[in-house]
Amino acid sequence: MLKYVSWALFAVALIVLPQIFTSILSVSILNQMCIAIVFALSYNMLLGQGGMLSFGHAVYFGLGGFMAVHALLAIENEQMMFSVTLIPLVGGLFGLCAALFIGSFSTHKAGTVFAMISLGVGELIAASSLILVSFFGGEAGVSGDRTYGPPFLGFDFAQNIEVYYLAAAWLFLATVCMYLFTQTPAGRMANAVRDNPERAEFIGYSARRVRFISFIFSGFFAGIAGGLFALNYEILTEQNLNAVTSGNVLLMAYIGGLGFFIGPIVGAIVLTLINSVLSNYTDLWLLYLGLMFVLTVMFLPRGLTGFLMMHRTPWHLGKLHLLAKPYAVTAVPGSIFVFSMVCIVEMSHSNEPTFNVFGFALDPSSFLSWGALIIIACLAFIALRRTLPSLRDAWDTANAIDTKPGVRP
Amino acid sequence: MSILQLQGLHKQFGNTPIIRDVSLKIAAGEKHAIIGPNGAGKSTLFHLITGRHTVSSGSILFKGQPIHNRPPYEIARLGLARSFQVTNIFPLLSVFENIRCALLWSQGYKYSFWHLLGKAKALNTRTEELLVEIGLQERRNLPAGELAYAEQRALELGIAIASGAEMILLDEPVAGMSHSEAKNAVELINRVTAGKTLVMVEHDMNIVFDMADKITVLVYGEIIASDVPSKIRGNAKVQEAYLGEVVEEHSHA
Ligand SMILES: Nc1ncnc2c1ncn2[C@@H]1O[C@H](COP(=O)(O)OP(=O)(O)OP(=O)(O)O)[C@@H](O)[C@H]1O
Ligand SMILES: [Mg+2]
Repeated sequence: MLKYVSWALFAVALIVLPQIFTSILSVSILNQMCIAIVFALSYNMLLGQGGMLSFGHAVYFGLGGFMAVHALLAIENEQMMFSVTLIPLVGGLFGLCAALFIGSFSTHKAGTVFAMISLGVGELIAASSLILVSFFGGEAGVSGDRTYGPPFLGFDFAQNIEVYYLAAAWLFLATVCMYLFTQTPAGRMANAVRDNPERAEFIGYSARRVRFISFIFSGFFAGIAGGLFALNYEILTEQNLNAVTSGNVLLMAYIGGLGFFIGPIVGAIVLTLINSVLSNYTDLWLLYLGLMFVLTVMFLPRGLTGFLMMHRTPWHLGKLHLLAKPYAVTAVPGSIFVFSMVCIVEMSHSNEPTFNVFGFALDPSSFLSWGALIIIACLAFIALRRTLPSLRDAWDTANAIDTKPGVRP
Repeated sequence: MSILQLQGLHKQFGNTPIIRDVSLKIAAGEKHAIIGPNGAGKSTLFHLITGRHTVSSGSILFKGQPIHNRPPYEIARLGLARSFQVTNIFPLLSVFENIRCALLWSQGYKYSFWHLLGKAKALNTRTEELLVEIGLQERRNLPAGELAYAEQRALELGIAIASGAEMILLDEPVAGMSHSEAKNAVELINRVTAGKTLVMVEHDMNIVFDMADKITVLVYGEIIASDVPSKIRGNAKVQEAYLGEVVEEHSHA
């Protein structure tokens, strides 16, 4: 029951969001989110569910995307006649073909061997994309036009909002399929092989075959994401299949949380927001992104979703409210610390003589600014250290199962 | 008729021979115990039979079919299941999923990505039955890695027996269990292997002499005796090489 409610909420959110956030910028961000979610979920079929760490997942995204643009061109040149609503499927099928070929040798082993092959194949494809100009278009990439095909229910997809609803429909469909895959024998055995490939073989399953199946599905859905990208941007370049894109999807899945189906969704949403919003404010957003990744790996190994899920026990025990005050108390020095560190970083980066942060005029050339910030950062850090023990105590109390009064353990 | 037949089996790691010219026939329906001192090669013998290691020379026939040097999954599909001396489970999967995965192949699901497990009624019922049988139904939703040691051993056994294989190889199934836990485990083994062929490596001589129809003694990779328990007890070679004190202890007990 809860399952159906979640799916319904998901669908409603997809429909309603662009009605709330109507600006051109927000619709474009929503489009990016749809693409990123499909891509990150497909990545998690490998890493989170199958235990295969890939450094080259952009290959399937990019190849699917390039093929999708060529399909758009074919429609434009009237070599083929079909609705552009099917373009993501073209991307998916091409991603699947690529995965069939590459997976046939890369899924032999998981672990380091798989990771290295994925890295090598990724570099290979990225490099050859600059050489094979007829398919990849060289440095300039290939571009198409999504408005040529026969209109679908009267839409010609000239506007971003139309593309959004198409992308949202594909996102919904792909998410349902990827979720259902986790509920099949092949999907469940992928988890088993991730946990213990050896034992899986003694209960009748070839670990290699199990990985291969996950791998081709993952390539298929990555290709769909690439097709969505092609529809949205109408251009694909080498950047879409190189190591940066591969690294980005790894970050999304990891920061969101590998162990949960919705983890990559959370990660894709958060990272898309950071990419598009934070990059408007500072040139250093990649630095902050990197820091966030390192901190997640160190302190939240189960990702943001894992962090939220940690609160299930206090919630079931009805003790969530006990955490409100300690969180607030920690948040004050915590945010002051983060804020002052950000100021210091931005100041050391800035070329301008002065700049304003929340009404404070900071001057990178004055010792006063530096001194004040460093002192504030240190004080906030000390205060933060002091609030942590009480937060930890509160956490323990909130997770403790009360024994009945009068009963001694 | 013998269901498993080992002929002139050799295995060496590097230059060290571990299994030396082992020939053995195990009849269908037999309860067969393999005993021997630490490092004799008992586990290695199991690894050879179940495909974890390749043989250096010799052959293994299961139901008349050669199975040596074939991958473990093919051997498992023929109906030869095993448990491990060192617990070998799926630590992040729930206890329930561990058992269900162990059932999948024998229930014909293969690599299906078009069946939904939630809708597989017979499969889920069988899983629940097995959970009751191994006494872990209350732990069903816990990740297997979080079970206590004895519970993990019970799960290890559960995974081995789930498929309902004709022949089951158990490598020290009760090692490390308390007396009462071991007693329960032995009862469970007797119950689930009724009518099947069981080969078991075990150090506890009480259990071995209670359960086994036949006992094989392996010392330094060689079979020094293979016979019914009463003959093994009286066998001079066995006495000398290994059993001496233990058997006496047992007969006085
Ligand atoms: N993969 C391997 N490489 C090299 N030597 C091995 C390997 N596996 C086992 N051995 C050696 O083979 C010998 C037999 O080991 P095995 O585990 O089969 O003994 P065992 O009879 O099961 O002993 P135990 O009663 O302690 O379980 C040991 O000396 C061991 O060190
Ligand atoms: Mg052993």
